[in-house]
Amino acid sequence: MQRSCCYLAVGLTVLVAGCGKGPQAEFSLREETTDLIPEAQKVVKTTLKEKFGSPHELIAWQRFPVNYGGVKGSVTEVAAEGKSVVVEWDGDATQVAKDAPLIWVSGARTGEKTSVGSVATYDAAKKELTWTGGSDPAPVAGDKLVIGFGKSLQTGRAVYMKNCMHCHGVSGDGNGPTAQYLNPLPRDYRSGVFKFTSTLGPEKPTRDDLNRVIKYGIPGTYMPSFLWLGDKETESVIEYIRWLAIRGEFESRVDNDLAGDFSQKTIEAAAAKAKANYDAAKGKEKPEKPQSAAAAKSAAKDKFAEYLKSDVPELIDGSAKFIAEAWAHSEEAESLIVPSVARVTDDAASRERGRRLYLSDKGKCYTCHGIQGRGDGAATEDFWKKPGSEEYYTKRGLHDTWGKPLQPRNLTLGQYRGGRRPVDIFRRIYAGIKGTPMPGFGRTALKDEEIWDVVNFVMSLQYESTPTKAKAAEHVVHSK
Amino acid sequence: MSTLHPTLDHAGHAGDDAHGHGHGHHELSFIQKYVFSTDHKVIGIQFLITTMLMLMVGGALALGVRWQLARPWEYMPIAGDLTFARDGGQISPEYYTMLFTMHATVMIFLVIIPVLAGAFGNFLIPLMIGADDMAFPTLNMLSYWFMWPAILFFAFAAGIGPEWLTGVVGGMDAGTAQGWTSYPLLSAVKTSAPGSAMAQTWWLMAVTFVGVSSMMGSVNYMTTIINMRAPGMTLFRMPLTIWAMFITAILQAFALPVLTAAGFMLVADRLLGTCFFIPAGIVINNAAPTIGGGQTLLWQHLFWFYSHPAVYIMLLPAMGMVSDMLACMCRKPIFGYKPMVYSMAAIAGLGFIVWGHHMFISGMNPALGMTFMVSTIMIALPSAIKTFNWIGTIWGGRLQFNGVMLNCIAFVSMFIIGGLSGIFMAAVPVDIYIHDTYFIVAHFHYVLFGSTLFGVFAGIQFWFPKMWGRMMNDTVAKFHFVLTFIGFNVTFFPMHMLGVAGMPRRYADPYHFEYLSHLLPLNQVMTAAAVLMGVAQFLLLGNFAYSMFFGEKCGRNPWNANGLEWTAPSPPGHGNFDVLPVVYHGPYEYSSPIVKDKDYLMQTEYVPLAQRQTNAGH
Amino acid sequence: MGRFWAIFFVATAVIAVAVSWFSPALHWWFPGDGKAHSNLGLRIDDLFHLILVIVSITFIGTHAALGYVLWRGATIKPEDKVLFSHGSHSLEVIWTIVPAGILLFIALYQMDVWAKYRVKSFSPAETEAVAEVTARQFEWRIRYPARGKKLQPTPQPDDVYTVNELHVPTGRPVSISLRTEDVQHSFFVPELRVKQDAVPGLVIPVWFDVIDRRTGKNAMELVCAELCGWGHYKMKARVFAESDEEFEQWREKIAGEQFDDGFKKAAE
Repeated sequence: MQRSCCYLAVGLTVLVAGCGKGPQAEFSLREETTDLIPEAQKVVKTTLKEKFGSPHELIAWQRFPVNYGGVKGSVTEVAAEGKSVVVEWDGDATQVAKDAPLIWVSGARTGEKTSVGSVATYDAAKKELTWTGGSDPAPVAGDKLVIGFGKSLQTGRAVYMKNCMHCHGVSGDGNGPTAQYLNPLPRDYRSGVFKFTSTLGPEKPTRDDLNRVIKYGIPGTYMPSFLWLGDKETESVIEYIRWLAIRGEFESRVDNDLAGDFSQKTIEAAAAKAKANYDAAKGKEKPEKPQSAAAAKSAAKDKFAEYLKSDVPELIDGSAKFIAEAWAHSEEAESLIVPSVARVTDDAASRERGRRLYLSDKGKCYTCHGIQGRGDGAATEDFWKKPGSEEYYTKRGLHDTWGKPLQPRNLTLGQYRGGRRPVDIFRRIYAGIKGTPMPGFGRTALKDEEIWDVVNFVMSLQYESTPTKAKAAEHVVHSK
Repeated sequence: MSTLHPTLDHAGHAGDDAHGHGHGHHELSFIQKYVFSTDHKVIGIQFLITTMLMLMVGGALALGVRWQLARPWEYMPIAGDLTFARDGGQISPEYYTMLFTMHATVMIFLVIIPVLAGAFGNFLIPLMIGADDMAFPTLNMLSYWFMWPAILFFAFAAGIGPEWLTGVVGGMDAGTAQGWTSYPLLSAVKTSAPGSAMAQTWWLMAVTFVGVSSMMGSVNYMTTIINMRAPGMTLFRMPLTIWAMFITAILQAFALPVLTAAGFMLVADRLLGTCFFIPAGIVINNAAPTIGGGQTLLWQHLFWFYSHPAVYIMLLPAMGMVSDMLACMCRKPIFGYKPMVYSMAAIAGLGFIVWGHHMFISGMNPALGMTFMVSTIMIALPSAIKTFNWIGTIWGGRLQFNGVMLNCIAFVSMFIIGGLSGIFMAAVPVDIYIHDTYFIVAHFHYVLFGSTLFGVFAGIQFWFPKMWGRMMNDTVAKFHFVLTFIGFNVTFFPMHMLGVAGMPRRYADPYHFEYLSHLLPLNQVMTAAAVLMGVAQFLLLGNFAYSMFFGEKCGRNPWNANGLEWTAPSPPGHGNFDVLPVVYHGPYEYSSPIVKDKDYLMQTEYVPLAQRQTNAGH
Repeated sequence: MGRFWAIFFVATAVIAVAVSWFSPALHWWFPGDGKAHSNLGLRIDDLFHLILVIVSITFIGTHAALGYVLWRGATIKPEDKVLFSHGSHSLEVIWTIVPAGILLFIALYQMDVWAKYRVKSFSPAETEAVAEVTARQFEWRIRYPARGKKLQPTPQPDDVYTVNELHVPTGRPVSISLRTEDVQHSFFVPELRVKQDAVPGLVIPVWFDVIDRRTGKNAMELVCAELCGWGHYKMKARVFAESDEEFEQWREKIAGEQFDDGFKKAAE
């Protein structure tokens, strides 16, 4: 009896100790990807795997303007017959330590097997470094190398999995376990569209925009402030989020291109339509019998084999190029919205002008935000068509590009999701809010002065019509 | 007699045949006998087995909590595979809140309250007072079967069950997560957290069912104890267990209606649109603003008006049982029987006017804090008296160091720690700091686990022979005790330190705060100990299940104890006693000088005056 | 075997005392440098230590007694008689009156601090409210009045806002207006020993004084101590205590950023 109990105890302990490893997180695929015919799907999957890896084995595709981390260095002196070099570092040299991964990025070694290794010894005082991975061919002065490449992405991933994943999801699809309970839903990064940016209409957000959102949160939503995350963590997680967005957008672009010919749904729909036409036309002049969905798919399969050779490499290359350029461009000064005039003095006259613009046909703000700015304009009562189709949304009111219902902001609450600085609100009006029906008025409908008038009017709404009811219910606790 | 050993028969009683009595009961079907039984013993055993299984469930939930605290955001076994495989097996924060909420819920409502009042109360009250059954046997049966809807609804509340039936969208991830205290608004506004939706409604329904079950029991216990005592069983000849059960029943009867009413009010707020607890104009998760002018603090008052007395409901019966067992294992009368009774009554009385100590920093009028502090600190007094009396009971006895005794000593020792840590919390200024930190977690685990559960472990082994006619294996029981005791202390003692270090409770990840980040290794040690403690409970279950069928057989009175229950056959048949017992003594006449040949004197044993005088005169 | 168990229980108590004794050295004790940084906190710490001493003596005493009776019961010889006693009236009286006196002393001794800090001095009119702290799921949003103005119960156009960052002047009592935007929260600054629940529908003034200057990396942490939903643990903020001058400078800086119209930047 005793013995058997002891066995039981030991067995259970082993069992518990053995539970250390669990399932591994994977990046999810878009619906558009899984809708492709199997052959095309396979290509998308392998490409993603090759170029981006999986959450536990990240791959840094260097084509993109993502700061993958690490410190670059340039060889200034070669010693010990090419086995030791003195390096001038460009950045934070503290990460140069034993076993840190090392990559030669220029010089004779690049492209060779020996271009990848790790740091063997490093003398911080002399900046002298030896490495593993072979010394042939020997480096020469001027060769460039990177230490700790990908470190930032890894840190970002760790921070993301701990703080962001449960809402934004492993792949940034806004579908983590907590997401389903939140209103509004967490951002789906995979379209590369971010709402609150300081950039012009079609541009991506800047690093600074993401930084602001992470630091100060988005009031009125469940995105809290992560002000005390630590600078390094914040920087890394911004890079990781950009990388996730790029990954998602890449998948999306490839899908969009392939969907035209290789979407199972489209093929089936086309076959069904052709069959319906054929059935309807029976008895009259007999058209050619259309092919079945299965036959159409098989034809698509053949076509894809051809397409794979001719166009897919270019598609991958082109998509990557487009995305890389878009993200790089958004960081440039010309993408930033800068008011051409200073804020118009916030006085009664300006607010009145703003009010008139708000109610004018030029602004038409009231159609969504309501005449009193309560976010209850007529547009919220209408049924709207889905973009690019004849179908209507099943729910009244506006929808964002992710297809989710959307409330125009109630401007009387003093909650400004994209920030409460006048310039933030200016930018919202100037370039609109990406992914939503809020259009940009800058350059076209409104002059910058006029936008400032609207800004002044909007910012005054909170104080003029503060609802008194809610406040009346509150009372201060007194003890005396 | 210096050592105890199981005896097959007992001198002075003819035969050990359970069915050897002549009450003339007709045969019952299997279902009537074992399932929908009205026999208090069967009901008691049903309660006991149910609560032991629930103990394992609650323990598993606790291990989930501990796992997250030791390895935050890493793979969690079972939960990680079942619910979060997609995310690499790391749990979500709302799952963590569900874990600790359900842990407390299961342990309080499905383990501690029913094991004391339901299992031991049912089994022992008629046997100890010499009655053939409870006053209302059918009501008694219902009190058990009302537990099952409660268990089912708690499962729904945890997100277990098909979505079309429960309406809980999101499975266990959307399980109720407001803590067992269910403070509004989190519990009142459906959008305020994942677990605040349908799951919380199920939780409230379940609590109502538990309440109904308890109420049926308590009415029954009071009636039985008042009306059905055997001849000679005066109030001050009742074992302390019975006193404890009696006082507990009174506590329950007076406190429970308040919780039930509060629960209905909260359900009404959630389903009917009333606003007892909801202030106006609150927007949560961009839902429509709330209307009406309720007060969230009202819930805290109502809830704690029940739940503070409930703490004593979770403790007093164990105190009574331990008193009985200690006296028997020390072969010595209980020290200060009447002070023990009076102090239990005092605890119960004071227990009604201390609820505010849960609310010192809640925003209630600070002047109230002083009143509640005085009453709270004074409630330590009867507890102290009881502790001194237990030590007095052990003093000078002939101790039998078996599993029962060890668990009883652990009860006393752990109760001292739990009681003393309570003084910190009772002092309002100090409570400002340690309120809602791990200090309180340490405190109530020392009281509820360290005291009550060790008392229950002792009780299981002590009355096991009466339930099954067989003994539990004492060696395994000792192993179980040592592992549990070490695991328990290593898990919970450091929580005092975590509390002093300011670690708030109910945190899924405390380590991202700089002032707490160094506490991870300590938490990992605690988790390892908790796993050890969890594994050790299989020894108890195994010992229980094995001994039921293969344990050493025993007679009516294997412990040479005095109580009436030991005059009945083991296990007692329907109707309990061969003949109506007549009581001549108090229950604690161990080593009495008026009997010479043995160190116990059963309550039913009549000692002629002459013999008493002769023996006592020596 | 009985002796082993007597030692076992005594050893547990000894280990408990030892662990408690070494805890401060292992940093399993009060946070930060171990000292409270407000006058209220210092008083609380004193009371804590007073109770700790009383409790420790009681703990050691009761466990010594328990150890003694266990040892005696374990070593009792077969021929020895068991002490047949139903109790002792005088002992009961002693161990009722002595603990009652001690407990009453503890209760009355605490009154003063609570009364002084929570009842008597508890007047928002006397202590200037520097900010309104609004807890929400899952962050702290803070509103300051503009320089030279008093905090109004409702937002004003020139108010200054921060999130998860509370600045207060040091060296004098300051108060904040604590409220919540959604569910219940609790304002807890461990190093100041300040805690107050934020209750929906109420505005609760909380006051404290920070003794020393706490800025930069040395700032104190503000946490939520009342379950407020899944992100309860995320509510991490910092409390900066600085001189009046620094406070005003900081407020100017934040106000400047907050009213930024983006134009000047371009001119530079």
